[in-house]
Amino acid sequence: MDVTLKVKRFDPETDEAAHFEEYQVDLPEYGAVLDGLLAIRDEQDGSLSMRCSCRSAICGSCAMKINGKSRLACKTMVSQLKELEGDVISVEPMGNQPVIKDLVVNMDMFWDKVNAVQPYLRPEGPVPEKEYLVSNESMMELAVAMNCIMCGACVSDCTVLEVDKSFLGPAALAKAFRFAGDPRDGHKEERLQLYTEPNGVWDCTRCFMCVSACPKDVAPMERIMDVRAMAMEAGLVNTRGARHVDAFASSVKHSGRLNELNLALKTFGFIRAGIDLAPMGIRRLFKRRLPPLMHKKIATAKNIARLFDKLGV
Amino acid sequence: MRYAFWPGCVSRAGTPELYPAATAVAEKIGMELIELEQASCTGAGVLGERNEELVDTLNARNFALAEQMGLDTLLTICSTCQGVMSSVNYKLREKPDYLAKINESLAEEGLEYKGTVRVTHMMWAVVEELGLSNLKEMVVRPLNGLKIAPFYGCYILRPRYVLGMNEEHAHRDQYLEYIIEALGGEPIDYEGKLRCCGFPIMTINEANGLKMVSNHTLEAKDMGAHALVTPCPLCHLNLDEFQPKAAKSAGKPINMPVLHLPQMIGTALGFSVRDMGLQRHIVSTEPFIELSGMPRR
Amino acid sequence: MRQHEVVIIGGGLAGMRAAQKAQEMGADVAMISKIYPTRSHSAAAQGGVQAAVSENDSWESHAYDTVKGSDYLGDQDAIEILCYEAPGDIYALERMGVIFNRNDDGTIDARAFGGTSVNRTCFVADQTGQVLLHVMWEQLLKSGLTTYSEWFVTKLLVEDNKIAGCVALEIPTGRVEVFRAKAIVLATGGIGQVYNPTTNGLVVTADGQALAYQAGATLMDMEAVQHHPTTMQANGVLITEGARGEGAYLLNSNGERFMEKYAPNMKELASRDVVSRAETMEIREGRGVNGCVLLDLRHLGRDLIMTKLAQIYELARDYANTNILEAPVPIQPGHHYIMGGIKTDVDGRTWDITGENRWAGVEGLFAAGECANVSVHGGNRLGGNSLLDTIVFGKRSGAGATEYANSIDWAPISEDAALADEESGIKAIFDRPSDGLRSSALRFEMGKSMNDGIAVFRTEEGMTQTLNTVRDIKGRFPNVSVQNKGRVFNTDLLSVLELGYMLDVAEVIAVSAINRKESRGAHAREDYPDRNDEEYLKHTIVHRGKNGDPALDYLPVTMTKWEPQVRSY
Repeated sequence: MDVTLKVKRFDPETDEAAHFEEYQVDLPEYGAVLDGLLAIRDEQDGSLSMRCSCRSAICGSCAMKINGKSRLACKTMVSQLKELEGDVISVEPMGNQPVIKDLVVNMDMFWDKVNAVQPYLRPEGPVPEKEYLVSNESMMELAVAMNCIMCGACVSDCTVLEVDKSFLGPAALAKAFRFAGDPRDGHKEERLQLYTEPNGVWDCTRCFMCVSACPKDVAPMERIMDVRAMAMEAGLVNTRGARHVDAFASSVKHSGRLNELNLALKTFGFIRAGIDLAPMGIRRLFKRRLPPLMHKKIATAKNIARLFDKLGV
Repeated sequence: MRYAFWPGCVSRAGTPELYPAATAVAEKIGMELIELEQASCTGAGVLGERNEELVDTLNARNFALAEQMGLDTLLTICSTCQGVMSSVNYKLREKPDYLAKINESLAEEGLEYKGTVRVTHMMWAVVEELGLSNLKEMVVRPLNGLKIAPFYGCYILRPRYVLGMNEEHAHRDQYLEYIIEALGGEPIDYEGKLRCCGFPIMTINEANGLKMVSNHTLEAKDMGAHALVTPCPLCHLNLDEFQPKAAKSAGKPINMPVLHLPQMIGTALGFSVRDMGLQRHIVSTEPFIELSGMPRR
Repeated sequence: MRQHEVVIIGGGLAGMRAAQKAQEMGADVAMISKIYPTRSHSAAAQGGVQAAVSENDSWESHAYDTVKGSDYLGDQDAIEILCYEAPGDIYALERMGVIFNRNDDGTIDARAFGGTSVNRTCFVADQTGQVLLHVMWEQLLKSGLTTYSEWFVTKLLVEDNKIAGCVALEIPTGRVEVFRAKAIVLATGGIGQVYNPTTNGLVVTADGQALAYQAGATLMDMEAVQHHPTTMQANGVLITEGARGEGAYLLNSNGERFMEKYAPNMKELASRDVVSRAETMEIREGRGVNGCVLLDLRHLGRDLIMTKLAQIYELARDYANTNILEAPVPIQPGHHYIMGGIKTDVDGRTWDITGENRWAGVEGLFAAGECANVSVHGGNRLGGNSLLDTIVFGKRSGAGATEYANSIDWAPISEDAALADEESGIKAIFDRPSDGLRSSALRFEMGKSMNDGIAVFRTEEGMTQTLNTVRDIKGRFPNVSVQNKGRVFNTDLLSVLELGYMLDVAEVIAVSAINRKESRGAHAREDYPDRNDEEYLKHTIVHRGKNGDPALDYLPVTMTKWEPQVRSY
């Protein structure tokens, strides 16, 4: 199978800026993009640098942008790409991290963020002679997050990190879930406090980029949502994020629909909402765009409220 | 085609120009929309953080209302609602036991979701059911010479498997471009088109949300776009309403008109500025109006 | 120059466990790894780790199974330690955070594996190695271990046959530095890339074995190279033994469960050498399917597969285009592991502390994990014993290294000479013309030759041919060139250095294999099909002779309570 790979090259010792180079390679039927890159390196251009090892999607070395999306090169099959995305395959280093050379990025920030969530079990109380007795179910719930191979694909595509490097990011927060959710850990509350600080779980914009990018179905964003839920469950409701959720819920419970005005008032507090949103209100007024001040209930709103009550919201 | 219609909360409140524009365009292109008057908010991804089962129940209830009216397709004009509905529907169909449990809650209202509803967005329906060639034939005022930046919003793109994009509809991430071309316009390609508008964090980390707004609108501007179009009222709310503030933070003017998808279609189908509510946007749509040559009323 | 009392080379399970133990004992310890630790190939171990944690089990039973699995070449004192310490170490790992699958009462569950008399393999779905590796790494983050990631060790520094330190190259910058150390633990893993194909990762290049050999230490039983029965044809990637542990069948082209013929009791769960030979026989006799046999998981059902073998489901889908819920997946034996390695005692020492000089070693040099040979696996390793080996002997070598470091003074070291030597070596490579021989071509030639001559079945002729090829490649190696002459992340240069390591080790494997004129464990010779306890119940040991060629010798096998018996499954 012939394929054209358009690879982004950058050598800090000789290049001013990154540039694309095209290579033609012949691959077997089940060739992955990594096989293509190895063929380039082994047969055409030994100066191409990348990280790779296991070839079976478990070491997490070879995340890169393939046709603009962050994926593992070893798990991305060339035949499928050709079928769905065209004959020429572009390969670039991961995003949101500085490039060292060619497809190799500096992951220091990635590791620092993972380290920041205290990514290790911290049991309290008497240490058992053998193992902690916990249910299989509770362990397998964590297996979803433990699947993470720290490849960085999620961080590479994270839309929040694109605008704010201080966000802890999807990989670190999925790791955070793994410990906040471990029945053997003794510091759940402290962890949830830490994870709900600014730059933590509430800063996620729920864009699903990390869910799409993750090659191991960790679905980091879902894990972030799990931590948000855990935090609210644990009574950590005095964050803007939690207030937003509460305000949203009470609006829908009351009328069956979302009342944006109420939402702003409750999330920001009356005074900030007044100051911050006033200019926008004035702009809206000029455009005859103000939502109806009297938010109308749907006729069956009481049925909605009953469903809320039934589920304890 | 007849559709059960769910406009979403924002199309009548935050961006009140969308609802009339969408319903007018739908009528013109032969989509019969039967509104689900008693449907509730889908949860917008927010409510699920509090209680996932509640969100599944509320959406199952909306689906059941559509079934009750004998309709098998539920159409929305909100990408966010569409995303939530698609993922709930996917889950309920995968897990019949869970659906049965949800139906117990619905039974109190005499409702049951049988699992027959298909969820679609007006953008999908235009391409997949109306068809681009039919749409093309309806064009009376082609968007010639107009460069338009597509902006999808997250929930109509991801995750692909709940949106049917792993199988038959692999190209749903290009429909905006298809429609722009069918209307005679020129879609521009830019990084931001598949990114997040920033709306979900505006109340939590406004600075980040504003940066997303300025990044995407400025990028579109740099690429020469005359307007940006989106199928999501929440994206619209952010990219339009917060654009002045984002411009201030970014320290440079932006002035990028942001259109709702039905407004863009309506422009090419001969509607007026007033019909489409283009005068009601925060960022002036004047440059687009001028270039398109659409009538004021 | 950097200075640490104990330096661990290798950041996989054995290395991290050694570092953890040394740190616990108060040593000034640092770990050097040529990749970030979570990238280590320990992550690829899927099926599980053996330990007699069940009520109906005992460490003695585990030890017996291991002795038998080793075809009586394992040292029984070491095997007793391995199995005796296993449950305690597994519990320790659990308390560190490993999310083992559980029984209904919350205790650690165990699954069946090849060559074991009871269910003894503790597991986390089919990602056991990855979870163990990550949990050990978490522990090192917790303790703040000094880690040099992406540093490649080019040489051990030895003064008067004592460890003085090592030289390493920082891959992202290309900078060379000397590390001074009192004790060094090698934990660099296997030799995978010496073979082609292999289940091992591209970074598995025999670094530690070669460093030790070049420094004067002994390699033992290097002919004991294991081919795993279930690897994928397209790229040699592994399918866990856990698949058969959970009940999967092996079928030939007639749809027969052929293992009934070769191992009537254990069938698919006979030890790996037995199953790999049976598969090869079936394929040779015309009952294969395109050079493979079939692994059938369909009867296990969707729920079991998706919860306990999910990774396999994905691998088969991605690399063999097979949905294992609906069809059997073609598999074949493929290179997987080396039982042989750097000769150590049960505390990881590479030298003979009795003073009798029974083998050549380097004082202060330790080894653990796959690069070492204690020897607990002998002629054939049981599935699930390699992770255990890294945990138990990683810990013991970390302790041994710390005690040793506490007992001695710093050896003298000449930093400038070491750096100059290294720089001139790199310069010599850079000075060769860019269009010369490519290391990749030689590596490929070596890998193919090793797989042709020293695989599941071996003959004098085939092995000799392989040895000749390896020596021929060694002759051409000084002309290998690089196209990248820069210093930043120069993987072209690394490939050359790695190939140098692999060629030395390939030669030792071939020499050792030719010399063992019997069949034992994974070393199955068609010209000597039987085990010959009278002449060969002994370890092959090799050190680098004065002329630079491998020098062969033998060591007796340590027996405690298990006399050699006929081995059948």
